[in-house]
Amino acid sequence: MSIGLNEFLAVSGLLFAIGFFGVLLRRNTLIIYMCLEIMLTAVAIALVAFSRFNGSMEGLLLVFFIITVAAAEVAIGLAIIVALFRKRGTVQVEELNSLQP
Amino acid sequence: MNYLEFLILVLPEAVLTMTALIVIGLGAKSGRGGANPFSSGFLTAIGAAGIVAAGLVLALLPAEASLGGMLVLDPLTRLFKWVILAMSLLTLALVPGWAPPAHRGEYLGLILFATVGLSLVISSEDLLMIFLALELASLSLYILAGYNCDDSYSAEAAMKYFLFGSISAAFLLFGMSLVYGYTGSTHLAEIGAALADLPTEPIFALGVVMMLAGLGFKVVAVPFHLWAPDAYQGAPAPSAALIASGSKVAGFFILAKILLLSFADWDGSADWGGFATGWVPFLALLAALSMVFGNLSALAQTSVRRLLAYSAVAHGGYILLGLLSGGTVGIAAVLFYITLYGMTAIGAFGVVALVEQRRGGDSVAHFAGLAKEAPFTAGCFLVFLISLAGIPPLAGFFGKFFLFTSALGGSAAGDPSGLVWLVSLGLGMNVLSLYYYLRVLKQVFARPPAESTGHATGTPPLLGCMLATTAGAIIFLGCFPNLLLKPIEAALRVVG
Repeated sequence: MSIGLNEFLAVSGLLFAIGFFGVLLRRNTLIIYMCLEIMLTAVAIALVAFSRFNGSMEGLLLVFFIITVAAAEVAIGLAIIVALFRKRGTVQVEELNSLQP
Repeated sequence: MNYLEFLILVLPEAVLTMTALIVIGLGAKSGRGGANPFSSGFLTAIGAAGIVAAGLVLALLPAEASLGGMLVLDPLTRLFKWVILAMSLLTLALVPGWAPPAHRGEYLGLILFATVGLSLVISSEDLLMIFLALELASLSLYILAGYNCDDSYSAEAAMKYFLFGSISAAFLLFGMSLVYGYTGSTHLAEIGAALADLPTEPIFALGVVMMLAGLGFKVVAVPFHLWAPDAYQGAPAPSAALIASGSKVAGFFILAKILLLSFADWDGSADWGGFATGWVPFLALLAALSMVFGNLSALAQTSVRRLLAYSAVAHGGYILLGLLSGGTVGIAAVLFYITLYGMTAIGAFGVVALVEQRRGGDSVAHFAGLAKEAPFTAGCFLVFLISLAGIPPLAGFFGKFFLFTSALGGSAAGDPSGLVWLVSLGLGMNVLSLYYYLRVLKQVFARPPAESTGHATGTPPLLGCMLATTAGAIIFLGCFPNLLLKPIEAALRVVG
Protein backbone atom coordinates (compact mmCIF):
# COMPACT_ATOMS: atom_id res chain seq x y z
CA MET A 1 0.00 0.00 0.00
CA SER A 2 1.09 3.55 -0.53
CA ILE A 3 1.43 5.96 2.33
CA GLY A 4 -1.03 8.79 1.99
CA LEU A 5 -2.26 11.76 3.97
CA ASN A 6 -4.29 9.65 6.38
CA GLU A 7 -1.26 7.70 7.59
CA PHE A 8 0.63 10.90 8.32
CA LEU A 9 -2.36 12.32 10.14
CA ALA A 10 -2.73 9.14 12.18
CA VAL A 11 0.90 9.37 13.32
CA SER A 12 0.47 13.04 14.08
CA GLY A 13 -2.74 12.51 16.04
CA LEU A 14 -1.18 9.63 17.96
CA LEU A 15 1.87 11.74 18.88
CA PHE A 16 -0.36 14.59 19.94
CA ALA A 17 -2.38 12.26 22.15
CA ILE A 18 0.79 10.76 23.67
CA GLY A 19 2.09 14.23 24.43
CA PHE A 20 -1.20 15.42 25.88
CA PHE A 21 -1.64 12.44 28.15
CA GLY A 22 1.97 12.75 29.20
CA VAL A 23 1.30 16.34 30.25
CA LEU A 24 -1.78 15.25 32.14
CA LEU A 25 -0.35 12.20 33.87
CA ARG A 26 3.33 12.89 34.51
CA ARG A 27 4.34 14.53 37.77
CA ASN A 28 7.82 15.83 36.96
CA THR A 29 7.78 19.22 35.25
CA LEU A 30 10.83 18.37 33.13
CA ILE A 31 9.02 15.35 31.68
CA ILE A 32 5.96 17.55 31.17
CA TYR A 33 8.07 19.92 29.08
CA MET A 34 9.24 17.00 26.96
CA CYS A 35 5.63 16.01 26.41
CA LEU A 36 4.79 19.57 25.37
CA GLU A 37 7.54 19.32 22.77
CA ILE A 38 6.02 16.06 21.52
CA MET A 39 2.71 17.88 21.04
CA LEU A 40 4.40 20.60 18.99
CA THR A 41 6.22 17.99 16.91
CA ALA A 42 2.90 16.35 16.16
CA VAL A 43 1.63 19.68 14.87
CA ALA A 44 4.71 20.03 12.67
CA ILE A 45 4.16 16.58 11.15
CA ALA A 46 0.52 17.38 10.40
CA LEU A 47 1.46 20.69 8.81
CA VAL A 48 4.17 19.21 6.62
CA ALA A 49 1.83 16.46 5.45
CA PHE A 50 -0.98 18.91 4.69
CA SER A 51 1.44 21.19 2.91
CA ARG A 52 2.67 18.33 0.74
CA PHE A 53 -0.78 17.06 -0.14
CA ASN A 54 -2.37 20.52 -0.54
CA GLY A 55 0.48 21.65 -2.73
CA SER A 56 0.91 24.94 -0.87
CA MET A 57 3.90 26.34 1.03
CA GLU A 58 2.14 28.05 3.92
CA GLY A 59 2.22 24.98 6.12
CA LEU A 60 5.97 24.55 5.72
CA LEU A 61 6.43 28.22 6.56
CA LEU A 62 4.45 27.75 9.75
CA VAL A 63 6.58 24.73 10.73
CA PHE A 64 9.80 26.76 10.71
CA PHE A 65 8.22 29.36 12.95
CA ILE A 66 6.87 26.67 15.27
CA ILE A 67 10.35 25.19 15.68
CA THR A 68 11.80 28.61 16.52
CA VAL A 69 9.03 29.56 18.92
CA ALA A 70 9.23 26.15 20.61
CA ALA A 71 12.92 26.74 21.32
CA ALA A 72 12.15 30.12 22.88
CA GLU A 73 9.34 28.60 24.88
CA VAL A 74 11.56 25.89 26.31
CA ALA A 75 14.21 28.46 27.26
CA ILE A 76 11.63 30.37 29.26
CA GLY A 77 10.17 27.20 30.73
CA LEU A 78 13.56 25.97 31.95
CA ALA A 79 14.26 29.39 33.46
CA ILE A 80 11.00 29.17 35.37
CA ILE A 81 11.93 25.65 36.55
CA VAL A 82 15.30 26.89 37.81
CA ALA A 83 13.68 29.81 39.63
CA LEU A 84 11.16 27.49 41.22
CA PHE A 85 13.76 24.88 42.18
CA ARG A 86 15.88 27.52 43.92
CA LYS A 87 12.93 28.52 46.08
CA ARG A 88 11.29 25.17 46.71
CA GLY A 89 13.93 22.53 46.06
CA THR A 90 11.51 20.45 44.01
CA VAL A 91 10.10 20.33 40.50
CA GLN A 92 7.23 17.93 41.23
CA VAL A 93 3.83 19.20 40.16
CA GLU A 94 1.96 17.93 43.21
CA GLU A 95 4.11 20.08 45.49
CA LEU A 96 3.18 23.27 43.63
CA ASN A 97 0.18 23.88 45.82
CA SER A 98 1.04 26.90 47.94
CA LEU A 99 -1.23 29.18 45.90
CA GLN A 100 -4.47 27.87 47.28
CA PRO A 101 -6.98 29.82 49.33
CA MET B 1 4.58 44.86 -1.17
CA ASN B 2 8.06 46.05 -0.37
CA TYR B 3 9.98 46.58 2.82
CA LEU B 4 9.11 50.27 3.04
CA GLU B 5 5.39 49.48 3.09
CA PHE B 6 6.06 46.84 5.68
CA LEU B 7 7.97 49.29 7.86
CA ILE B 8 5.22 51.89 7.61
CA LEU B 9 2.58 49.36 8.57
CA VAL B 10 4.42 48.23 11.71
CA LEU B 11 5.83 51.64 12.61
CA PRO B 12 3.99 51.82 15.98
CA GLU B 13 5.38 48.40 16.91
CA ALA B 14 8.83 49.46 15.71
CA VAL B 15 8.67 52.51 17.97
CA LEU B 16 7.67 50.29 20.90
CA THR B 17 10.50 47.85 20.20
CA MET B 18 13.07 50.63 19.98
CA THR B 19 11.82 52.05 23.27
CA ALA B 20 12.02 48.60 24.85
CA LEU B 21 15.64 48.21 23.71
CA ILE B 22 16.53 51.68 24.99
CA VAL B 23 14.93 50.99 28.37
CA ILE B 24 16.66 47.62 28.69
CA GLY B 25 19.99 49.20 27.74
CA LEU B 26 19.65 52.02 30.25
CA GLY B 27 18.49 49.61 32.91
CA ALA B 28 21.53 47.39 32.40
CA LYS B 29 24.01 50.25 32.76
CA SER B 30 25.88 50.13 36.03
CA GLY B 31 27.03 53.34 37.62
CA ARG B 32 29.24 53.97 40.64
CA GLY B 33 29.25 51.08 43.10
CA GLY B 34 27.40 48.82 40.65
CA ALA B 35 24.07 50.52 41.30
CA ASN B 36 22.00 51.58 38.33
CA PRO B 37 22.26 55.35 37.89
CA PHE B 38 18.75 55.70 36.49
CA SER B 39 15.79 55.80 38.82
CA SER B 40 12.89 53.51 38.00
CA GLY B 41 10.66 56.56 37.66
CA PHE B 42 12.92 57.85 34.87
CA LEU B 43 12.91 54.49 33.04
CA THR B 44 9.13 54.24 33.39
CA ALA B 45 8.79 57.75 31.97
CA ILE B 46 10.82 56.70 28.90
CA GLY B 47 8.60 53.63 28.47
CA ALA B 48 5.48 55.76 28.79
CA ALA B 49 6.87 58.25 26.27
CA GLY B 50 7.48 55.37 23.86
CA ILE B 51 3.89 54.17 24.19
CA VAL B 52 2.53 57.68 23.66
CA ALA B 53 4.81 58.09 20.63
CA ALA B 54 3.56 54.78 19.20
CA GLY B 55 -0.01 56.00 19.67
CA LEU B 56 0.75 59.23 17.84
CA VAL B 57 2.53 57.40 14.99
CA LEU B 58 -0.51 55.16 14.70
CA ALA B 59 -2.67 58.25 14.15
CA LEU B 60 -0.47 59.33 11.24
CA LEU B 61 -0.61 56.04 9.35
CA PRO B 62 -2.85 55.72 6.25
CA ALA B 63 -6.47 54.90 7.04
CA GLU B 64 -6.42 51.48 5.41
CA ALA B 65 -3.40 49.39 4.63
CA SER B 66 -2.69 45.72 4.27
CA LEU B 67 0.42 43.63 3.98
CA GLY B 68 -0.55 40.80 1.66
CA GLY B 69 -3.50 40.14 3.95
CA MET B 70 -1.18 39.14 6.80
CA LEU B 71 -1.23 42.38 8.73
CA VAL B 72 -4.15 44.72 8.27
CA LEU B 73 -4.72 48.27 9.37
CA ASP B 74 -8.29 49.54 9.24
CA PRO B 75 -10.36 51.81 11.51
CA LEU B 76 -11.26 48.94 13.86
CA THR B 77 -7.74 47.60 14.34
CA ARG B 78 -6.46 51.14 14.78
CA LEU B 79 -9.02 51.80 17.51
CA PHE B 80 -8.10 48.62 19.36
CA LYS B 81 -4.38 49.18 19.01
CA TRP B 82 -5.02 52.44 20.84
CA VAL B 83 -6.95 50.53 23.47
CA ILE B 84 -4.03 48.10 23.92
CA LEU B 85 -1.56 50.99 24.15
CA ALA B 86 -3.78 52.71 26.73
CA MET B 87 -3.89 49.53 28.81
CA SER B 88 -0.11 49.21 28.90
CA LEU B 89 0.25 52.92 29.66
CA LEU B 90 -2.06 52.51 32.65
CA THR B 91 -0.12 49.39 33.69
CA LEU B 92 3.14 51.34 33.59
CA ALA B 93 1.76 53.59 36.35
CA LEU B 94 2.03 50.59 38.68
CA VAL B 95 5.64 49.81 37.81
CA PRO B 96 7.58 52.36 39.94
CA GLY B 97 5.74 51.39 43.10
CA TRP B 98 5.02 47.70 42.74
CA ALA B 99 7.25 45.95 40.21
CA PRO B 100 9.99 43.73 41.66
CA PRO B 101 12.91 46.06 42.50
CA ALA B 102 15.65 44.19 40.63
CA HIS B 103 16.31 44.80 36.91
CA ARG B 104 13.63 47.44 36.39
CA GLY B 105 14.77 48.15 32.84
CA GLU B 106 14.19 44.57 31.72
CA TYR B 107 10.81 44.49 33.41
CA LEU B 108 9.71 47.59 31.50
CA GLY B 109 11.19 46.18 28.30
CA LEU B 110 9.15 43.00 28.69
CA ILE B 111 5.96 45.00 29.24
CA LEU B 112 6.71 46.84 26.00
CA PHE B 113 7.45 43.58 24.14
CA ALA B 114 4.17 42.13 25.40
CA THR B 115 2.47 45.28 24.11
CA VAL B 116 4.07 44.78 20.70
CA GLY B 117 2.75 41.22 20.64
CA LEU B 118 -0.77 42.22 21.69
CA SER B 119 -0.80 45.06 19.18
CA LEU B 120 0.23 42.67 16.39
CA VAL B 121 -2.47 40.22 17.45
CA ILE B 122 -5.03 42.96 16.83
CA SER B 123 -3.88 43.61 13.27
CA SER B 124 -3.04 40.08 12.10
CA GLU B 125 -5.36 38.26 9.74
CA ASP B 126 -3.35 35.15 9.00
CA LEU B 127 -2.99 32.04 11.15
CA LEU B 128 0.81 32.31 11.01
CA MET B 129 0.84 35.92 12.20
CA ILE B 130 -1.80 35.22 14.82
CA PHE B 131 0.31 32.41 16.25
CA LEU B 132 3.52 34.44 16.25
CA ALA B 133 1.92 37.53 17.78
CA LEU B 134 0.10 35.53 20.45
CA GLU B 135 3.33 33.72 21.35
CA LEU B 136 5.31 36.97 21.53
CA ALA B 137 2.75 38.33 23.97
CA SER B 138 2.47 35.08 25.95
CA LEU B 139 6.21 34.46 26.29
CA SER B 140 6.70 38.01 27.60
CA LEU B 141 3.80 37.60 30.00
CA TYR B 142 5.17 34.28 31.36
CA ILE B 143 8.39 36.03 32.33
CA LEU B 144 6.52 39.01 33.75
CA ALA B 145 4.42 36.68 35.91
CA GLY B 146 7.51 35.00 37.35
CA TYR B 147 9.64 38.12 37.57
CA ASN B 148 9.91 38.31 41.34
CA CYS B 149 12.82 35.92 41.98
CA ASP B 150 12.62 36.42 45.76
CA ASP B 151 9.08 35.16 45.93
CA SER B 152 8.26 31.49 45.48
CA TYR B 153 4.62 32.38 44.81
CA SER B 154 5.66 34.38 41.76
CA ALA B 155 7.64 31.42 40.37
CA GLU B 156 4.75 29.06 41.01
CA ALA B 157 2.31 31.43 39.31
CA ALA B 158 4.62 31.65 36.31
CA MET B 159 4.96 27.86 36.18
CA LYS B 160 1.22 27.29 36.13
CA TYR B 161 0.62 30.10 33.65
CA PHE B 162 3.38 28.69 31.44
CA LEU B 163 2.16 25.09 31.57
CA PHE B 164 -1.44 25.91 30.73
CA GLY B 165 -0.34 28.48 28.17
CA SER B 166 1.91 26.01 26.36
CA ILE B 167 -0.75 23.31 26.27
CA SER B 168 -3.25 25.79 24.88
CA ALA B 169 -0.72 26.98 22.29
CA ALA B 170 -0.25 23.36 21.17
CA PHE B 171 -4.02 22.91 20.90
CA LEU B 172 -4.37 26.15 18.97
CA LEU B 173 -1.64 25.05 16.58
CA PHE B 174 -3.06 21.58 16.04
CA GLY B 175 -6.45 23.14 15.36
CA MET B 176 -4.82 25.58 12.95
CA SER B 177 -3.06 22.75 11.14
CA LEU B 178 -6.33 20.84 10.68
CA VAL B 179 -8.16 23.94 9.47
CA TYR B 180 -5.30 24.73 7.11
CA GLY B 181 -5.24 21.17 5.84
CA TYR B 182 -8.97 21.17 5.24
CA THR B 183 -9.29 24.56 3.57
CA GLY B 184 -5.81 24.86 2.01
CA SER B 185 -5.16 28.36 3.27
CA THR B 186 -3.90 30.12 6.38
CA HIS B 187 -5.53 33.43 5.57
CA LEU B 188 -8.68 34.07 7.57
CA ALA B 189 -10.82 35.46 4.74
CA GLU B 190 -9.70 32.73 2.32
CA ILE B 191 -10.56 30.07 4.89
CA GLY B 192 -14.03 31.59 5.13
CA ALA B 193 -14.37 31.66 1.33
CA ALA B 194 -13.17 28.05 0.98
CA LEU B 195 -15.65 26.87 3.61
CA ALA B 196 -18.57 28.20 1.63
CA ASP B 197 -17.94 25.53 -1.03
CA LEU B 198 -16.89 22.64 1.20
CA PRO B 199 -19.08 20.26 3.17
CA THR B 200 -18.23 20.16 6.87
CA GLU B 201 -16.36 17.08 7.93
CA PRO B 202 -15.55 15.88 11.45
CA ILE B 203 -11.85 16.61 11.02
CA PHE B 204 -12.63 20.27 10.33
CA ALA B 205 -14.97 20.43 13.32
CA LEU B 206 -12.20 18.96 15.46
CA GLY B 207 -9.83 21.66 14.19
CA VAL B 208 -12.25 24.46 15.03
CA VAL B 209 -12.95 23.09 18.50
CA MET B 210 -9.24 22.75 19.23
CA MET B 211 -8.61 26.31 18.07
CA LEU B 212 -11.43 27.54 20.28
CA ALA B 213 -9.97 25.58 23.20
CA GLY B 214 -6.61 27.28 22.65
CA LEU B 215 -8.22 30.71 22.49
CA GLY B 216 -10.46 29.85 25.44
CA PHE B 217 -7.31 29.86 27.54
CA LYS B 218 -6.59 33.43 26.41
CA VAL B 219 -10.05 34.68 27.30
CA VAL B 220 -10.16 32.68 30.57
CA ALA B 221 -13.25 30.61 29.80
CA VAL B 222 -14.17 27.58 31.92
CA PRO B 223 -12.79 24.82 31.67
CA PHE B 224 -9.57 26.50 30.42
CA HIS B 225 -9.40 28.93 33.35
CA LEU B 226 -7.47 26.88 35.92
CA TRP B 227 -4.32 28.97 35.60
CA ALA B 228 -6.02 32.31 36.16
CA PRO B 229 -6.55 32.40 39.95
CA ASP B 230 -2.97 31.26 40.60
CA ALA B 231 -1.41 33.60 38.06
CA TYR B 232 -3.44 36.58 39.30
CA GLN B 233 -2.54 35.78 42.89
CA GLY B 234 1.18 35.09 42.57
CA ALA B 235 2.30 37.50 39.84
CA PRO B 236 3.66 40.98 40.65
CA ALA B 237 0.84 43.54 40.57
CA PRO B 238 1.70 45.25 37.23
CA SER B 239 2.11 41.86 35.51
CA ALA B 240 -1.23 40.66 36.86
CA ALA B 241 -2.86 43.89 35.70
CA LEU B 242 -1.51 43.43 32.15
CA ILE B 243 -2.51 39.75 32.06
CA ALA B 244 -6.01 40.67 33.22
CA SER B 245 -6.46 43.57 30.79
CA GLY B 246 -4.39 43.73 27.60
CA SER B 247 -4.11 39.97 27.16
CA LYS B 248 -7.87 39.51 27.54
CA VAL B 249 -8.70 42.37 25.17
CA ALA B 250 -6.45 40.94 22.45
CA GLY B 251 -7.78 37.42 23.11
CA PHE B 252 -11.41 38.41 22.65
CA PHE B 253 -10.60 40.57 19.66
CA ILE B 254 -8.83 37.79 17.78
CA LEU B 255 -11.45 35.23 18.83
CA ALA B 256 -14.18 37.43 17.36
CA LYS B 257 -12.14 38.05 14.23
CA ILE B 258 -11.45 34.36 13.59
CA LEU B 259 -15.05 33.34 14.20
CA LEU B 260 -16.54 36.02 11.97
CA LEU B 261 -14.02 36.03 9.14
CA SER B 262 -13.34 32.31 8.86
CA PHE B 263 -16.07 30.29 10.46
CA ALA B 264 -19.13 32.47 9.90
CA ASP B 265 -20.62 29.80 7.64
CA TRP B 266 -20.33 27.10 10.26
CA ASP B 267 -21.96 28.76 13.24
CA GLY B 268 -24.69 26.26 14.08
CA SER B 269 -27.21 27.10 16.75
CA ALA B 270 -27.45 26.88 20.52
CA ASP B 271 -31.17 27.64 20.66
CA TRP B 272 -33.15 25.88 23.34
CA GLY B 273 -34.55 22.83 21.57
CA GLY B 274 -33.08 23.90 18.23
CA PHE B 275 -29.56 22.60 18.55
CA ALA B 276 -27.35 22.51 15.44
CA THR B 277 -23.64 21.70 15.31
CA GLY B 278 -21.18 24.54 14.87
CA TRP B 279 -19.11 26.81 17.04
CA VAL B 280 -22.13 28.58 18.57
CA PRO B 281 -23.20 25.65 20.78
CA PHE B 282 -19.58 25.11 21.86
CA LEU B 283 -19.20 28.77 22.84
CA ALA B 284 -22.63 28.74 24.48
CA LEU B 285 -21.45 25.85 26.65
CA LEU B 286 -18.26 27.73 27.56
CA ALA B 287 -20.28 30.86 28.34
CA ALA B 288 -22.74 29.01 30.57
CA LEU B 289 -19.96 27.16 32.43
CA SER B 290 -17.93 30.37 32.84
CA MET B 291 -20.84 32.33 34.24
CA VAL B 292 -21.83 29.61 36.70
CA PHE B 293 -18.40 28.41 37.86
CA GLY B 294 -16.82 31.87 37.86
CA ASN B 295 -19.48 33.42 40.06
CA LEU B 296 -19.92 30.42 42.37
CA SER B 297 -16.16 30.06 42.95
CA ALA B 298 -15.77 33.78 43.56
CA LEU B 299 -18.26 33.52 46.44
CA ALA B 300 -15.87 31.35 48.43
CA GLN B 301 -12.66 33.35 47.94
CA THR B 302 -10.88 35.14 50.76
CA SER B 303 -8.05 36.52 48.62
CA VAL B 304 -9.21 39.56 46.66
CA ARG B 305 -6.81 38.74 43.81
CA ARG B 306 -8.37 35.30 43.43
CA LEU B 307 -11.78 36.91 43.68
CA LEU B 308 -10.86 39.22 40.80
CA ALA B 309 -9.66 36.19 38.81
CA TYR B 310 -12.94 34.32 39.22
CA SER B 311 -14.84 37.49 38.46
CA ALA B 312 -12.73 37.71 35.28
CA VAL B 313 -13.90 34.18 34.41
CA ALA B 314 -17.52 35.20 34.98
CA HIS B 315 -17.13 38.33 32.87
CA GLY B 316 -15.55 36.23 30.13
CA GLY B 317 -18.82 34.27 30.13
CA TYR B 318 -20.93 37.42 29.75
CA ILE B 319 -18.74 38.61 26.89
CA LEU B 320 -19.03 35.28 25.08
CA LEU B 321 -22.81 35.87 25.13
CA GLY B 322 -22.30 38.88 22.89
CA LEU B 323 -20.12 36.86 20.51
CA LEU B 324 -22.85 34.23 20.17
CA SER B 325 -25.30 36.68 18.70
CA GLY B 326 -22.85 37.67 15.96
CA GLY B 327 -23.89 40.73 13.99
CA THR B 328 -22.65 44.28 14.36
CA VAL B 329 -24.59 44.97 17.55
CA GLY B 330 -23.25 41.92 19.35
CA ILE B 331 -19.64 42.45 18.32
CA ALA B 332 -19.79 46.15 19.20
CA ALA B 333 -21.14 45.17 22.63
CA VAL B 334 -18.28 42.67 23.07
CA LEU B 335 -15.62 45.20 22.12
CA PHE B 336 -17.19 47.93 24.28
CA TYR B 337 -17.37 45.68 27.31
CA ILE B 338 -13.88 44.23 26.96
CA THR B 339 -12.35 47.72 26.79
CA LEU B 340 -14.24 48.70 29.87
CA TYR B 341 -13.41 45.50 31.69
CA GLY B 342 -9.69 45.92 30.97
CA MET B 343 -9.64 49.41 32.47
CA THR B 344 -11.58 48.26 35.53
CA ALA B 345 -9.21 45.33 36.08
CA ILE B 346 -6.10 47.53 35.95
CA GLY B 347 -7.64 49.96 38.42
CA ALA B 348 -8.71 47.20 40.78
CA PHE B 349 -5.22 45.67 40.73
CA GLY B 350 -3.80 49.12 41.54
CA VAL B 351 -5.94 49.25 44.68
CA VAL B 352 -5.01 45.68 45.63
CA ALA B 353 -1.32 46.53 45.16
CA LEU B 354 -1.62 49.49 47.53
CA VAL B 355 -3.39 47.43 50.18
CA GLU B 356 -0.80 44.64 49.92
CA GLN B 357 2.03 47.11 50.33
CA ARG B 358 0.50 48.85 53.35
CA ARG B 359 -1.01 45.88 55.15
CA GLY B 360 0.96 42.88 53.95
CA GLY B 361 -1.79 40.83 52.32
CA ASP B 362 -4.69 40.79 49.90
CA SER B 363 -7.31 38.89 51.89
CA VAL B 364 -10.69 40.53 52.31
CA ALA B 365 -9.87 41.28 55.97
CA HIS B 366 -6.86 43.35 54.92
CA PHE B 367 -9.22 45.81 53.23
CA ALA B 368 -10.93 46.73 56.52
CA GLY B 369 -11.19 50.46 57.03
CA LEU B 370 -9.47 51.43 53.79
CA ALA B 371 -11.96 54.27 53.40
CA LYS B 372 -10.58 55.98 56.53
CA GLU B 373 -6.93 55.68 55.56
CA ALA B 374 -7.07 56.35 51.83
CA PRO B 375 -10.50 57.77 51.01
CA PHE B 376 -9.71 58.51 47.38
CA THR B 377 -8.44 54.97 46.67
CA ALA B 378 -11.45 53.53 48.44
CA GLY B 379 -13.78 55.71 46.38
CA CYS B 380 -12.19 54.52 43.13
CA PHE B 381 -12.38 50.90 44.35
CA LEU B 382 -16.09 51.45 44.92
CA VAL B 383 -16.48 52.66 41.33
CA PHE B 384 -14.57 49.62 39.97
CA LEU B 385 -16.47 46.98 41.91
CA ILE B 386 -19.87 48.59 41.40
CA SER B 387 -19.14 48.79 37.69
CA LEU B 388 -18.11 45.12 37.65
CA ALA B 389 -21.32 44.25 39.46
CA GLY B 390 -23.21 46.12 36.74
CA ILE B 391 -25.09 48.76 38.69
CA PRO B 392 -26.23 51.89 36.82
CA PRO B 393 -25.16 54.58 36.07
CA LEU B 394 -21.63 53.19 35.73
CA ALA B 395 -20.29 51.95 32.42
CA GLY B 396 -20.37 48.29 33.51
CA PHE B 397 -24.15 48.42 33.57
CA PHE B 398 -24.40 49.61 29.97
CA GLY B 399 -21.78 47.12 28.87
CA LYS B 400 -23.79 44.23 30.31
CA PHE B 401 -27.03 45.75 29.05
CA PHE B 402 -25.70 45.82 25.47
CA LEU B 403 -24.34 42.27 25.77
CA PHE B 404 -27.57 40.82 27.13
CA THR B 405 -29.83 42.67 24.70
CA SER B 406 -27.71 41.57 21.74
CA ALA B 407 -27.92 37.97 22.95
CA LEU B 408 -31.70 38.34 23.41
CA GLY B 409 -31.88 38.97 19.67
CA GLY B 410 -30.70 35.37 19.21
CA SER B 411 -27.90 34.08 17.02
CA ALA B 412 -27.71 35.05 13.37
CA ALA B 413 -29.05 31.80 11.96
CA GLY B 414 -31.33 30.74 14.80
CA ASP B 415 -34.63 31.60 16.35
CA PRO B 416 -34.71 35.26 17.57
CA SER B 417 -35.47 34.21 21.14
CA GLY B 418 -33.34 31.07 21.14
CA LEU B 419 -30.70 32.32 23.56
CA VAL B 420 -33.12 33.44 26.28
CA TRP B 421 -32.06 30.50 28.47
CA LEU B 422 -28.47 31.71 28.44
CA VAL B 423 -29.41 35.34 29.07
CA SER B 424 -31.57 34.43 32.07
CA LEU B 425 -28.71 32.32 33.43
CA GLY B 426 -26.40 35.32 33.03
CA LEU B 427 -28.82 37.69 34.74
CA GLY B 428 -29.28 35.32 37.66
CA MET B 429 -25.55 34.86 38.09
CA ASN B 430 -25.06 38.61 37.87
CA VAL B 431 -27.36 39.11 40.85
CA LEU B 432 -25.34 36.50 42.73
CA SER B 433 -22.11 38.35 41.93
CA LEU B 434 -23.36 41.41 43.86
CA TYR B 435 -22.82 39.44 47.06
CA TYR B 436 -19.08 39.01 46.75
CA TYR B 437 -18.41 42.51 45.45
CA LEU B 438 -20.42 44.01 48.31
CA ARG B 439 -18.66 41.75 50.81
CA VAL B 440 -15.36 43.42 49.93
CA LEU B 441 -16.90 46.90 49.87
CA LYS B 442 -18.41 46.34 53.30
CA GLN B 443 -14.90 45.74 54.68
CA VAL B 444 -13.63 48.86 52.94
CA PHE B 445 -16.34 51.22 54.12
CA ALA B 446 -18.10 49.81 57.16
CA ARG B 447 -15.33 48.18 59.20
CA PRO B 448 -12.77 50.06 61.29
CA PRO B 449 -9.08 49.53 60.43
CA ALA B 450 -7.69 46.42 62.10
CA GLU B 451 -4.92 48.25 63.98
CA SER B 452 -3.69 51.81 63.84
CA THR B 453 -0.04 51.27 63.00
CA GLY B 454 2.16 54.08 61.85
CA HIS B 455 2.08 53.16 58.15
CA ALA B 456 1.45 55.80 55.57
CA THR B 457 -2.05 56.93 54.70
CA GLY B 458 -3.48 58.65 51.65
CA THR B 459 -2.95 57.72 48.01
CA PRO B 460 0.45 57.91 46.26
CA PRO B 461 0.31 60.55 43.48
CA LEU B 462 1.08 58.31 40.48
CA LEU B 463 -1.38 55.64 41.57
CA GLY B 464 -3.88 58.43 42.27
CA CYS B 465 -3.56 59.69 38.69
CA MET B 466 -4.03 56.18 37.30
CA LEU B 467 -7.05 55.48 39.50
CA ALA B 468 -8.56 58.87 38.69
CA THR B 469 -8.16 58.18 34.95
CA THR B 470 -9.71 54.72 35.04
CA ALA B 471 -12.50 55.56 37.49
CA GLY B 472 -13.18 58.80 35.60
CA ALA B 473 -13.39 56.91 32.32
CA ILE B 474 -15.81 54.39 33.82
CA ILE B 475 -18.10 57.10 35.21
CA PHE B 476 -17.84 59.13 32.00
CA LEU B 477 -18.63 56.17 29.74
CA GLY B 478 -21.48 55.31 32.09
CA CYS B 479 -23.00 58.73 31.43
CA PHE B 480 -22.15 58.77 27.71
CA PRO B 481 -21.68 55.15 26.53
CA ASN B 482 -22.24 56.23 22.93
CA LEU B 483 -18.92 58.07 22.87
CA LEU B 484 -17.12 54.71 22.71
CA LEU B 485 -19.89 52.54 21.27
CA LYS B 486 -20.58 54.70 18.21
CA PRO B 487 -16.94 54.77 16.99
CA ILE B 488 -16.76 50.98 17.43
CA GLU B 489 -19.97 50.47 15.45
CA ALA B 490 -18.83 52.90 12.76
CA ALA B 491 -15.48 51.09 12.46
CA LEU B 492 -17.27 47.74 12.32
CA ARG B 493 -19.47 48.98 9.49
CA VAL B 494 -16.43 50.14 7.53
CA VAL B 495 -14.81 46.74 7.98
CA GLY B 496 -18.06 44.99 7.14
